[in-house]
Amino acid sequence: MTTYIIRRLISAVLVLFSISVMVFLIFFATPGVNPAARIAGRSATPQILAQVSKEFGLNRPLPIRYALMMYHLFIKQDLTSYVNIGDKVVPQITAAAPVTLSLILGAAIIWMFVGVLGGLIAAANRGKFIDPLIMFFGIAAVSVPAYWLGEVVNYFTQDRLHTSVFSWVPALGYVSPTTNPWQWAVHLFFPWITLAALYAGIYARVLRGELINAMNEDYVRTARAKGLSERRILLRHALRCSLISIVSLFGLDFGALIGGAALLVEVVFGLPGVGLLTYNSLLNLDLPVIMGCVMYGAFFVVLASAVVDVLYAYLDPRVRVVR
Amino acid sequence: MTDDILLRATDVVKSFSSRGKKLGTRSVAQAVNGVSLEVRRGETLGIVGESGCGKSTLARCLVQLLPVTSGTVEFNGTVLTDLSRRQLRPHRRNMQLVFQDPYASLNPRRTVGDIVADPMRINKVGSEAEIKDRVEKLFVTVGLDPSYLRRYPHEFSGGQRQRIGIARSLSLNPLLVVADEPVSALDVSVQAQVLNLMADLQEEFSLTYVFIAHDLGVVRHVSDRVGVMYLGEIVELGDADDLYDKPHHPYTEALLSVVPELNDTDAPRRERILISGDVPDPSDRPTGCCFHPRCPIATERCTTDKPELVTISPGRQVACHYPRNVNSSAQPGTVSP
Amino acid sequence: MLSVHDLKVSFATRQGEVRAVDGLSLEVGQREVLGIVGESGSGKSVAMYSMLGLVRDANASITGSVRFEGKEILGLADKDMQSIRGGDIGMIFQDPMTALTPVYTVGWQIVEQIRAHTDMTKPQAKERAIELLAEVGIPDPRTRVNHYPHEFSGGMRQRVVIAMALSCNPKLLIADEPTTALDVTTQAQILSLMSRLQETHGSSIVIITHDMGVIAEMAHRVVVMYAGRPAEIGPEIDVVRSPRHPYTWGLLGAVPRAGTRSQRLATIPGNAISPLDVPVGCAFAPRCEYRMAICVERPLMKGADGHQDACWLSDEQRITIRSSVGRGTS
Repeated sequence: MTTYIIRRLISAVLVLFSISVMVFLIFFATPGVNPAARIAGRSATPQILAQVSKEFGLNRPLPIRYALMMYHLFIKQDLTSYVNIGDKVVPQITAAAPVTLSLILGAAIIWMFVGVLGGLIAAANRGKFIDPLIMFFGIAAVSVPAYWLGEVVNYFTQDRLHTSVFSWVPALGYVSPTTNPWQWAVHLFFPWITLAALYAGIYARVLRGELINAMNEDYVRTARAKGLSERRILLRHALRCSLISIVSLFGLDFGALIGGAALLVEVVFGLPGVGLLTYNSLLNLDLPVIMGCVMYGAFFVVLASAVVDVLYAYLDPRVRVVR
Repeated sequence: MTDDILLRATDVVKSFSSRGKKLGTRSVAQAVNGVSLEVRRGETLGIVGESGCGKSTLARCLVQLLPVTSGTVEFNGTVLTDLSRRQLRPHRRNMQLVFQDPYASLNPRRTVGDIVADPMRINKVGSEAEIKDRVEKLFVTVGLDPSYLRRYPHEFSGGQRQRIGIARSLSLNPLLVVADEPVSALDVSVQAQVLNLMADLQEEFSLTYVFIAHDLGVVRHVSDRVGVMYLGEIVELGDADDLYDKPHHPYTEALLSVVPELNDTDAPRRERILISGDVPDPSDRPTGCCFHPRCPIATERCTTDKPELVTISPGRQVACHYPRNVNSSAQPGTVSP
Repeated sequence: MLSVHDLKVSFATRQGEVRAVDGLSLEVGQREVLGIVGESGSGKSVAMYSMLGLVRDANASITGSVRFEGKEILGLADKDMQSIRGGDIGMIFQDPMTALTPVYTVGWQIVEQIRAHTDMTKPQAKERAIELLAEVGIPDPRTRVNHYPHEFSGGMRQRVVIAMALSCNPKLLIADEPTTALDVTTQAQILSLMSRLQETHGSSIVIITHDMGVIAEMAHRVVVMYAGRPAEIGPEIDVVRSPRHPYTWGLLGAVPRAGTRSQRLATIPGNAISPLDVPVGCAFAPRCEYRMAICVERPLMKGADGHQDACWLSDEQRITIRSSVGRGTS
């Protein structure tokens, strides 16, 4: 198992390195962009531009430029935003991260719970009425774009029924849990449901498929021959084996979301998370911030993927024998 | 090379390497570990062994479907292992392979007519009309209705699919047909039909067969000579009836003793010699004789000294320090010096 | 012990009714080994599965009577069947590679079965599991009880499956092609193990196979099935030495043996019938060399001394046939 983990981490580091190289190259290859100007800031004087050129080695060979860029980004952490002069990139990201994290964590708990439950009920009652019903909701949830759903939710909670049914819903925005935990949860309630709906649908469908396949496997036949109850077979044997693929899926989704893939939900609900930050920086072509966000996102996806692989090996003992 | 010998394999080794259990190591497994054999024109050489013994890998090495790691394969006067891929191509028509799994060896998206015609089309043998004619004749030869040409494999039973596979292998008039477990996936009655068919075809087309299987009864039935494989090596080779009546290698002896037999005669049943344990991992071969960890008569010498395949009597070869039943009067199951 | 009468299992499919089992009756006595032999499509596996409630197809219709220890078990509620399955009747299946749940240790799986049928505590059940593993010949059982199925070879896994099936001391063990997926040497080990266990535990065994050799090794009595119907039933030695049904003749003749080299194997003409096309009358008639006019009527099982067959041929006719054809048919 340890060899497996080590191998996995090594390949994760290699992937991150490749991504950093690619991001760096984009920085220098974007048309119509003067790297020095982008680094220095909008109203940079020629002296600052020259200084930046020197510090970042813009006249030196590519590998040196790469090394210097990484140094400034990670170690010195003094890369500043192009748009908001003086605002350093790294602190912006670290400020936005907890918001995204709160959104994702809450939504994840909800969608896993609903999705797994839905998939289980649908598979156990295959063919009966409730099965297609759950699947219908699943498809509906998957088909509806998150931003549209978000806007619809807002329409009812912030506008139409704001004075009556949803009077308890606060204005759009975020409250830190350290300031006021209750408000934190209330503010995130509808964003959570909106984001969870999409994923719960997918997971319920996937799990249902996996469970039905598992119930046709030989080991389930053996379990029946052992005289176990159908319930136990479904929960202890079929589910346990099906969870493996769900876990992989979850890991990748979670990683991508943490990295900022939930940006549309953040935009719609006015949550100042990494997604919103990336969105704004893209609009302004604020390259330092973009680079920071991309690296941040990539890091989480790669980390999540590595964690998932290790978890997979834990859940499925067969995978541990790496050949 | 004698005109009599169609195929000669000398010291063929095929190894596969993969990631080792420890970090940074590679493990090498010899699927075929130095096999030498000869196949005479017109005969059927049977190769028998259990799963993992390397017989399928050997089959593929013989017809050059897999490149050998070392050793030579001589076919019809030419040393195939010396040739490049391009040089090898014209020789491929003369040796064909029939596969085990009738459900997996036919492309489900091609009609069966196309499957049999493809080898001819690829080798540009004749016009389309001639090819079609030949395919129809082949179908009749293997006992299938030629009107089935346009059907797809899934419309046929296992036995019929195997016949299609055989028809395909014959389409280029090969000299040698290597059959890798051709009847293992079939029911007993269907198996009999296919075996009869193969015997008829051998006579009609003067074919030479290498017949690979794990079913000892089947191998004995079809073969003139039989080779027994264990862990990538030939441990015994000889005339079929002779080998079955008087096995020399302890593994052969044990193998033959445990085959479930029909007790429809009053002949005394063989004493069962049960070998304990499992086949070792080919990447971790035992020292000395490859069979010694499971051999009921192994000695100290067997752990250090690897026995060579030697001719012990005309037509019989065995790789063992203590071959059994060497005195022709002894009954199987008795110890001989 | 087990008494089956006129079992019929059919499936309603889009192409019509598929009669997988069409009137099977058999008996299994105490400490007896019954072999059920037939080729693919003969219905031998479906028959056993349907008896134990393992056929879960909603389109299946199962009729007849199956009495286990005097009690009718066909049609029993699933909950009641669950206590019989694994408890009084154990089952082992063909492919050991997929028979065990891959994510739990073998010990956990054996303990699960023990605790489903007895009151043992977890530690007690685990001790029993270790005992069982030792009994079936798994070396170092105390360590291996915590291993996962993929850490065992095919033969070892089948032993684990056998250990698990025997864990609650069943009175009847049903083995569906238990050695088909194994090598000949491993097969020998497993068969010898099963014989030994049968003697020590005193259970009856039903062994389903297509291999007549395995039947000869293990079975006291044998049922030959064709197209879902029994063709011949009797003591193993009688069926093998004096078979009565033409299908049995064909089956035995088709087995390659010493002395058959360079001869054509006796084959059964034609192909196996499709279960949708079972003819009216004798199912084997279309392929039978000796069919007569009367064969359009389905023959009943008849015979004496426990050796029965479903064929219209009279004893005199058989003697004539056998003496004229010789070894090939008898």
